[in-house]
Amino acid sequence: MNAGIDLRSSFIETLQNLGLPLGVSQAFWIPLPSILMIIGATVGVLVVVWLERKISAAAQQRVGPEFAGPLGVLQPVADGMKLVFKEDVVPAKADPWLFTLGPVLVVMPVFLSYLIIPFGQNLVITDLNVGIFLWISLSSIAPIGLLMSGYSSNNKYSLLGGLRAAAQSISYEIPLALAVLAIVMMSNSMSTIDIVHQQSGYGILGWNVWRQPVGFIIFWISALAECERLPFDLPEAEEELVAGYQTEYAGMKFGLFYVGSYVNLVLSALVFAILYLGGWEFPIPLDKLASWLGISETEAWLQIVTAALGVTMTILKAYFLIFIAILLRWTVPRVRIDQLLNLGWKFLLPVALANLLITAALKLAFPVAFGG
Amino acid sequence: MFKILKQVSDYAKDTFQAAKYIGEGLAVTFDHMGRRPVTVQYPYEKLIPSERFRGRIHFEFDKCIACEVCVRVCPINLPVVDWEFNKQIKKKELKHYSIDFGVCIFCGNCVEYCPTNCLSMTEEYELATYDRHELNYDNVALGRLPYKVTEDPMVTPLRELGYLPKGVIEPHDLPAGSQRSGKRPEELIPE
Repeated sequence: MNAGIDLRSSFIETLQNLGLPLGVSQAFWIPLPSILMIIGATVGVLVVVWLERKISAAAQQRVGPEFAGPLGVLQPVADGMKLVFKEDVVPAKADPWLFTLGPVLVVMPVFLSYLIIPFGQNLVITDLNVGIFLWISLSSIAPIGLLMSGYSSNNKYSLLGGLRAAAQSISYEIPLALAVLAIVMMSNSMSTIDIVHQQSGYGILGWNVWRQPVGFIIFWISALAECERLPFDLPEAEEELVAGYQTEYAGMKFGLFYVGSYVNLVLSALVFAILYLGGWEFPIPLDKLASWLGISETEAWLQIVTAALGVTMTILKAYFLIFIAILLRWTVPRVRIDQLLNLGWKFLLPVALANLLITAALKLAFPVAFGG
Repeated sequence: MFKILKQVSDYAKDTFQAAKYIGEGLAVTFDHMGRRPVTVQYPYEKLIPSERFRGRIHFEFDKCIACEVCVRVCPINLPVVDWEFNKQIKKKELKHYSIDFGVCIFCGNCVEYCPTNCLSMTEEYELATYDRHELNYDNVALGRLPYKVTEDPMVTPLRELGYLPKGVIEPHDLPAGSQRSGKRPEELIPE
């Protein structure tokens, strides 16, 4: 694809025309995409909290928040303000460093993983060669934070909850990685942009969800378990061990756990959309649509429309998965810890391995369809 | 050799069955999203309490004979009956009667055992005040007629579940003149 509108060079040129030297202008550009992504992730969390409350209410035939702002959209803001103003209690005899750093270690890797999420061909913070692998390896830092939170709370129930949460997180990393590995094998690259490109060209028929009918279910179950959403929310469920490893947390530290849980959900939905649902692709390939309508590819307004459509499609696909996750929360019962670990090790792991083998065999047999 | 194949096929069948159940569950949950919420929007819509609802107690000063049965059957001996024996008419004279609704548990014992039926329970439940001493109702406050939901112009009254027609579980959008399920007394008489 041709270069199109280059935001970075336009920004640097504008700053140079204002009189700043080249190096300083380039330095000013560097933090902008990251700041934009962090703002996007935080606003995404606010939106998802509102969505969760409204969709849960609709599924339970009630109304949900409707007084804080129009249709209740400011309700998550009210929740956040409440958590900010609450007293930050550190229990007596709790290890102060571990207690404070536990939530940080759980939440930071999730925000870092937003580096590799593309919203369009050039709309990504960084196009790493090992993009998707970065996400998997960053998600392995979370169990350390969970163990730190559980142990440092000086509460035996928190300790047990933290151990269970860490066990759950570790158990479902392997099926997650294997499902992703099958996709990587088909795309011949770990870069998220290459994965989306491999699905492009045929519209909705080219998405990976058709080529990996079992893989996407494995990925979805493992992603739900990593996010600790129902049916896998044993560590943080209200009726289990009080609140598991989050029991002793109040105020903004609990706010970090709360935000981190939803950021993780948004991230998992976005990664699923990229890996299996074709990322920013429209169901009908846009370049074919443009050539049918007789519009040249290099026109600026077409680029803007394509980019906006790409962002919209990514968000719509992620929303569809978030909707399924919220609906699933009120549909299925919670699994016990032994059922959870059984599912992870004894069912998903062999099935993921079998999926990998079959994908490899199909790749060798039909290179045209399964990534030559 | 065939035993292991059968085990694998049974396991696979169980997996499909489980997936089917979850799919059916998701269909049920999704179907509920299309229904109207059953929420009673409280200040603008209120439920009409049922006939035997145990709300605030009503007291008729003129019927009371100051026998203090209500005090004796009350689990906490709550009603304060201020009477003195009047030697001229040779009867008890009631000077003041009060019940503190901050303490009352609304059990209805006093209403049940009152010999002159001067005590009754109303459908009023909105007794909130800013100061708990205002909850100590004297005989004037007890004698006031209750607030009726159907006569408040700001409120849409909604019927409770027991008063809805057969098969209806939701009070919103009820057609006018709907009767509750079961026969009225006039219809029962010919039987």
